[in-house]
Order: sequence, then structure tokens, then C-alpha cells
Amino acid sequence: MKAFQYATAHSTDSARQLVADKGAYLAGGNDLLGLLKEYLISADTLVNIKSLPGLNKIEDGRKAWTIGALVTVAQIENHADIKKTFPGLHEAAADVASLQIRNVATLGGNLAQHSRCWYFRQRDVKCLKKHGDLCYARNSENRYHSLFTGNDCISPVVSSLATTFAALDATAIVLRDGKELRWSMAELYAEAWKNPYAHNSLQPTDLILRVEIPTTRTRSAYMQASDKHAFDWALVSCAAAADMVDGRLKSPRVALGSISPVPHQSEAANSFLEGKVLNDATATQAADLILKDAKPLEHNAYKMPMAHALVRRTLLKLKGDA
Amino acid sequence: MPSWPAETKYISHSTARVDGAAKVTGKARYSSDIQATGWLYGMILRSKWPAAKITDINLEKALKVPGIRAAVLARGKEFTVRYYGEEIAAVAGTSKQACLDALRAIEVTAQPLPFVVNEADAKKADAPRVWENSPNYKEPNARDRGDVNTAFGQCAAVIEGFYSTPVQIHNPMETMGNTISWTDDGLTAWSSTQGISSVRDGLAGSLKLEHSKVRVITEYMGGGFGAKFGSGVEGALAANLSREAKAPVRLMLTRFDQALAVGNRPSSFQKIKLGAAADGTLLAFEMDNYGTAGIGGGGDAGGGGGGADIPAPYLYKVANSRVKQSAVAVNAGSARAFRAPGNPPASYGIESAMDDLAVKLGMDPVEFRLKNDPSKIRQREYALGVEKFGWKQKYQKPGSSPGVVKTGIGCAGAAWPAGGASKNTHGEAQINPDGTIEFRLGVQDIGTGTRTVIAVVAAEMLGLKPEQITVKVGDTRFPPGPGSGGSTTCPSISPTVFDICTKALQQLQTQTGIADARGENWFAACKKLGVNSLTVPGQWIEGLSSNPAGGVQFAEVEVDTETGLVTVKKILGVHDCGLIVNQLTLESQINGGIIMGMGYALYEERVMDDLSGVMLNPNFETYKLPGIADVPDIEVVLINMPERGVIGIGEPATVPTAGAIANAIANAIGVRVSSLPITPAKILAALGKVPPATA
Repeated sequence: MKAFQYATAHSTDSARQLVADKGAYLAGGNDLLGLLKEYLISADTLVNIKSLPGLNKIEDGRKAWTIGALVTVAQIENHADIKKTFPGLHEAAADVASLQIRNVATLGGNLAQHSRCWYFRQRDVKCLKKHGDLCYARNSENRYHSLFTGNDCISPVVSSLATTFAALDATAIVLRDGKELRWSMAELYAEAWKNPYAHNSLQPTDLILRVEIPTTRTRSAYMQASDKHAFDWALVSCAAAADMVDGRLKSPRVALGSISPVPHQSEAANSFLEGKVLNDATATQAADLILKDAKPLEHNAYKMPMAHALVRRTLLKLKGDA
Repeated sequence: MPSWPAETKYISHSTARVDGAAKVTGKARYSSDIQATGWLYGMILRSKWPAAKITDINLEKALKVPGIRAAVLARGKEFTVRYYGEEIAAVAGTSKQACLDALRAIEVTAQPLPFVVNEADAKKADAPRVWENSPNYKEPNARDRGDVNTAFGQCAAVIEGFYSTPVQIHNPMETMGNTISWTDDGLTAWSSTQGISSVRDGLAGSLKLEHSKVRVITEYMGGGFGAKFGSGVEGALAANLSREAKAPVRLMLTRFDQALAVGNRPSSFQKIKLGAAADGTLLAFEMDNYGTAGIGGGGDAGGGGGGADIPAPYLYKVANSRVKQSAVAVNAGSARAFRAPGNPPASYGIESAMDDLAVKLGMDPVEFRLKNDPSKIRQREYALGVEKFGWKQKYQKPGSSPGVVKTGIGCAGAAWPAGGASKNTHGEAQINPDGTIEFRLGVQDIGTGTRTVIAVVAAEMLGLKPEQITVKVGDTRFPPGPGSGGSTTCPSISPTVFDICTKALQQLQTQTGIADARGENWFAACKKLGVNSLTVPGQWIEGLSSNPAGGVQFAEVEVDTETGLVTVKKILGVHDCGLIVNQLTLESQINGGIIMGMGYALYEERVMDDLSGVMLNPNFETYKLPGIADVPDIEVVLINMPERGVIGIGEPATVPTAGAIANAIANAIGVRVSSLPITPAKILAALGKVPPATA
């Protein structure tokens, strides 16, 4: 990697100033250091934000919970009350990478991580995402790529926490130029939907501060399908969340990950599920709706039946023992 | 004729590794741990083109990078690179970062050339040529036995299948590399190698040095599997850098380097036709196979060749056969010997075909094998395995397992026809008056427990405890030993230690008058040596080792027919390797072979990109290997056959695993996935669940 300055910020203001034009925020570093080592990005200053006050807390509230951006994935996984209140979030956190990575990976970093497309990560390939002419994946090895996209790049979002937050209708609070922006997961990744060069909607100096999760949905579940049993990316991930009133779904939401540059949601599927009793038939119809208009490619069409199965299973998991 | 003792205290029992504590505490010095005084980092610049004509290389700017002490060319300034990752130049400097900066400062002028990285494309007549003067693919000659056409006409059942296996990359825990110090006095290489003698000869040859001026040391190394017999391009580069920089240079490959240029198992594309009579007797076999060894086999292929041919029809006796085999060159890194070269793909192909034919015949797969496998030992192993595994209780018709998650079982056999021992194995023991004893053999431990085997045999022969035996290996100054490959190490060194011990006891008797210096007499006898130590040489002797080894494995799997995920629940391996020397390290080696076979079955695959010509997965993120969560319950059953002497087990242990797992999957889901690795995507496709592409 190229030489860089290192500084520790003790306030968000100083973090913003230190990062200036060409710096980068450093928390867990899992993604950032990999990008730097492969010369995929460069930064003249790494600003350690691990000492920023107040961002490493998990706070419960009657209407919403708040998880700070510096909370590690392992802390989310091991938090007993999160497991009770948002079981889907616990399950998603537990499936992230390996224990060693979860111990240092932060919530903010997980949401802000860049594409894992193997062309993007290949040091000697200049693909569309790296401002080259061509999305190689679209025309060649696309087994890990998207079924949906709004641009020519088919690299999917891989944050499984984002998938779950989408189902829980969580809000990311992002600091931009001293102001707090409140973004849905759809908004957090909207730029990647339309812009092949973007990984998310964050600008280099934007800082994710925390995520707020409303408690309206009392049930949630997460499942992923991978090639291996652990320490492997999801080929498809799925999260569902809802409240249950008299055995019927209230405010249901389903989201799929690793098949689109944004956590994939369908208004049609969510509205269809509203007020429904969960069973094989309703879960299947929801799965059909959420995958409608997918555009499978030569090597990733297997994600269609896989996603369909995950939607059904994840929804049925919401029933729990009840 | 010498013979192994009938009653044993250590041989055929379990002794923990004598160097286990040193390894787990970090005291053991692996080749990549060596820090020679004043050492520098070394790194290699590799081709970013899959094919290109290099016309100039300028090292000047690299040499100006702070901390850089030397830069050398791999092959001059003008040459053709034929694959992504081929070596171009190397630098040495005081830090890793200095080297990285220097590599980026090297200016290479090149004209990119057309390339082809995929086997099927490379076969086409109009494909770009990997080598200008020869076609990528030559039509093979048929090797005929009997009359295959007539025989197929007489078969009650015939199947045809197309079974393929991917290129598997060499990924030992420790990458390839050396620390090399080259001065006017000579050259010392601390190598991560499975052949200290072959590395010495290789370095001496390529650098034009006398053998006596080259010393190779390998105290501990982290796995070789066939890739580490030679010093390699990286060895010669490290030596030249050391010469230039006047300092020792440590050049260990990165995982990225490792994936590209230092060996792999060739792919195979096996078109198989197999036919049998109604009673299950195989009558006819036809195979047309090709695979790629990259730009070619050869380089550093010691210990088993790196070609793409596979043994066929492998374990089975078929009166009529026609076999055609050829290799196709592509612009990718070369093949090298890889644990049981040729055998895992052979086993996967024929064992899949055997199961497919058994289904067509309506025969039990084990019965069908017993009918056609002439090996008496494997017959015994199948019988044992069927019992242990509960085969008859578990076996159900293919695809008949109920529910979404289906279970299935399968089996496959292995042979390792090579093996045997290296007759040029020597060693010596120094016996001191205080009773301490040190064995010195110019062999190396590739991680299989070589020191422990030496200690166990010596303790048995001398009536001592293994921990009383000091063992030194991994230095070309010791009496020469074999390369650790071809499953030959144990059968080479065990008789050698036997010979040293026999001679030591004779000499102690002559010198001290004590008739039997073993056991409780040992210290008294040694004391009588007075002030002088006794050094006893010995060598490999006939009659205590043999070959071949074999085995059979059984697999039980669960397949989620909606997500395609395969969970291996159980593997049972029933293996033979003559006299068991140390059961614990033997079982460990079979466990490792099975896990490696699992990776081959389900996860591992070199992915080359047709458009850019690069390897897309030169890392452990997308070159997937089994992790602990994937590893099933493994049970190892050994048949101890002291009458056969010592036989190696390294290779057969990994041969049948992929075939057994593939057959278990086919048994579970009722359809065959006929290419490795068997991924969820392929399972879902085989089940007819994948829609056509629309974009």
C-alpha cells in the first residue's frame, strides 16, 4: 500500500477535518486495509475513529433501539436482548465471516464495505466499477452476481446486516457536513443502483453514526445460502420481519441480499403479505412477487430457486412456535 | 532376511509427535521463520498479461526506492510470457513495503498477445497458440485392448457419461520459498521443501556451483503435496538477489503468487462409456479424456509427473477397452505433481460411471465393485467397511430419500500403484557414553511425523522410549535421504533406522562385551564406551518394506434440494499400508487426505477468466477450502499387515474421497452432478430447478 498519515479523532468534527479531501475513516479496517493493500483505493490519511465518544453503544428504547456504528458484529451477535428482540439481526450477525473478523468488524464498516466482485478485487483488471470500459462479469464469470441492477455493473451489495436492517425498516444516521441525515437502507445504497462506480450512497467524508431499529416488528428472521457451512459469503441472503396480530402479519417486510446493488425489496410482496396468515401458499406467492422481473445471467440463474426457497423459509420462520 | 519384531511396544501403537510441543509452542522453526543475520525481504514481479512479448525491462527506478538493495531479471529483458503470473523480475530490500514499492517502479514494455485460458476453447483449431510452433491440442492415439465394439454389443447395460474435474491449486499451509545466503564460501538455503537433496542439486545445477558448496536446511516446513521438490524460479531468484545484495534474502511467496505459478493438479474431461453383462461383469470400457496442465507439465514435476493423463479403467478389470488421452495447453500456470497424481480424477470419473452403471443394472454399488475389482485386499476392505458403515441398513434407491433434505451414501476405491521405498536412503546414529543417542538422516519432515517415525522404530529396536531418541533431519550435511513424495518416506526410513539399530547393537556387543545392549542394559553398555562416542552408519535394506497401498472410503451426505447445500455427515476410510509404524500419525495423515478430498469434491476450483485471461480467485476468499464447520465425522479403520512390511499412505488417503462423496450425492438426489466441484449451483441445475438466463 502507499504510505499514509495516521491520526486519531476524538470528535466527529475533528474526524471530518482530519479526513479532509483524501483521507479515509478507519475502524475495524477489514475492508479498508484490503482495498489499500491491493491498491484499489488510496488514502493520504487514515483517521482512527475508534475513540469517537458515544458510537460504541447499544441502547434499547420503547420505540426504537440504537446501535452505534463502532459496535462490533460480535457484540451484536452476543447481545442477549438483541437475540430476543431482533432474532433476525442476531442470526445475520452470527453468519458474518469468521469469529476473528466479527470481533473487529464494526457495524459501520459492514454497511459501508465495498464490492466483493472478483473483477473489482482483481488488481490487474480494470473493470467498469474501476472506471474501465467493461463490466467483465456481465459477459463472463457472473456466478456471484446480481439478478437485479439499475446500471451496467452487476456487483451486488453483500452486507447481510443491511439485508436485515431493510426488513426491520431501520434507519442509518449519517453525518454529512455537520448535519445528520436519516436514510433508509434503500437510500443508503440507492447510488449503487444507478451509478456503476458507487458502492453505496456515502461520500468519502460521510460518516455513519448509528442505526435506529424500530421495535414495531416483534418478529424477525434471517437465513443465507452459501457454498460452505461457515466463513463464506452468502450466495443469497434473506431477512424478514413483521408484527403478528391474531396470527396475521402486520407491517411485513422481506429483503434479499447478494442479488442486487441494494437490499432487494418489493412493495408488491410486502403489501401482499399484509394481513395474511403465513403458510406455504402465502410464502410462495410472496417469493414469486419479490423475484418478479429478475434478470438471471448465464451463471447466476441458480440464485432464482435459491432465493425463492430462502424467502419461503425465512417467512415461515417468523411463525416461530406460535 | 531381516524381519520386524513380532511383539511390539511402540511400532503399531500410538506415539504423540515427538516435536508436537515444539510446534504448538512456536519453538519449531519453519523455513518461513528463518531470520538469517542481515536478511532482506525478496519479492517477485509477475506478468499481468496472460500472454505478451516483453521487449524491455527497466530496473533503474526500482533500484532507487529507499531500502532496495538488489533487483534481478528472471529471464533477461526480451522473452515471451505465456500466462498471468509468470515471473519477470525480483527485488530485495529491507522491508516488505520497500519491495512492493520497487515492484511497482519496474518498467516493463510489452506487446500483449492473443491468449486462451479455457480448455474447450484452446482445443479449437483457430484458437490462439500457447506455443507458436505446436498446436495446443494433439489428437490422441487410441490404446486398445480386446475388441471394444463387439463387447459393447454383448452388454446387458451400457452407460455414457461426461465427467469433469477442475484444476486444483497447490495450497500448502506454508507457501513456497526460501531464505538463501550466497557468498564466496558457498550457498546456504533454508527451504520450504520436500526434497532437500533435489533442491541442492537444482540450485547447484542452475547456479553452476559444486554440490559441496550448497547446503540445504529444512528444519520444519508446512506441507508440500508434490509441489516442493525443486528450488523453483523463486529459489534461483532468491539466490541471485542474495549474490547481488551481499545479504541473505528471504523470498517466500504470497498466497497470490502461490495460486498462479507453482503448480496445480491438471483438469480432466472424461467421456466414459462403460458396459456390463447382466450379472454385473464389466465387458467394455471406452474413455476419451483430455485435461490441461497449463502451459505444459514438466517443470519441477519430480515425484510423479504433472501431465494430464489419468490411469483408466483404474481399479477395474475390463477385458475390452479403448482409451484415448491427450492434454491441451492453455495460458495458465503449469501442473506439478499433486498428491497421488492422476488418481483422484481417475477415481472420481470411473467410480461415478460405476455407480451410474450399477443403477442401470439394478445392482448394489458395493456388490458391483466386488464383482469387478480384482484386489483381494480391497475386497476385504469393502467387507469391513460395509459392516462398520452399516451400508446395507443405510442404502436406499437413488432419489428415494423423502423430504427436502435428502440423505445418500456412496463408496469408492483407491490404489497407489507407485510407492515403495528409495533404496538410496542412508543415516547414522551417534551413541554417547551417557546413553544419549542422536539419529541423523538427510530426509525432511513434510509434516507427516518423520521424526516421530524414526524415534518409534529406534525405541522399539533399542528397548528405549521414543522421547529418549534425539532425531535430526532436514540438512544436506547428513547422510542422504529420499525426497518426501510418492508415499515413499516411511518405507525408506524405517528399514534404514532398523539397519542402524541392528548395527549399533552389534557394535556395542563387540566393543563392550555386553551381549544384549537393549533396554535396561543400554546405559551400562554405553558407559563402557569410555570417553568416545560411537557413530554407526546404516542404510535401507531389503525385506522390511513393500508396496502398493490401497483403501476404500464410504460417504454419507445430506443434500438440501432447495438451496443445493451439501453436508457431509460421515466419511469412513478403510485403508491398508502394510505394517503400521505409528497409528496416531497415520490416522492423522488419512484425516488430512480425506479433508483434502472433500475440498476437491465440493469447493476447490481455479477460475480463469476468458475475457481478461487472469485467475479470478487467487485467494482463500473465492478459492474455497474446507473449514472446520464443513468437516464431517471421520472414522479411520486400518488393516495392519506386518507381513507386508512398511508401506506409505500419504497418497491413497485422498484418492477416493471425491468419488465417494459424488456417489453419495447422486444417491441422495437421484441425478448425477458430473463435474467437480459439486456446488449448490450445480445441484440445483441437476435437479432441473434453474431457469434459463434472460439478460
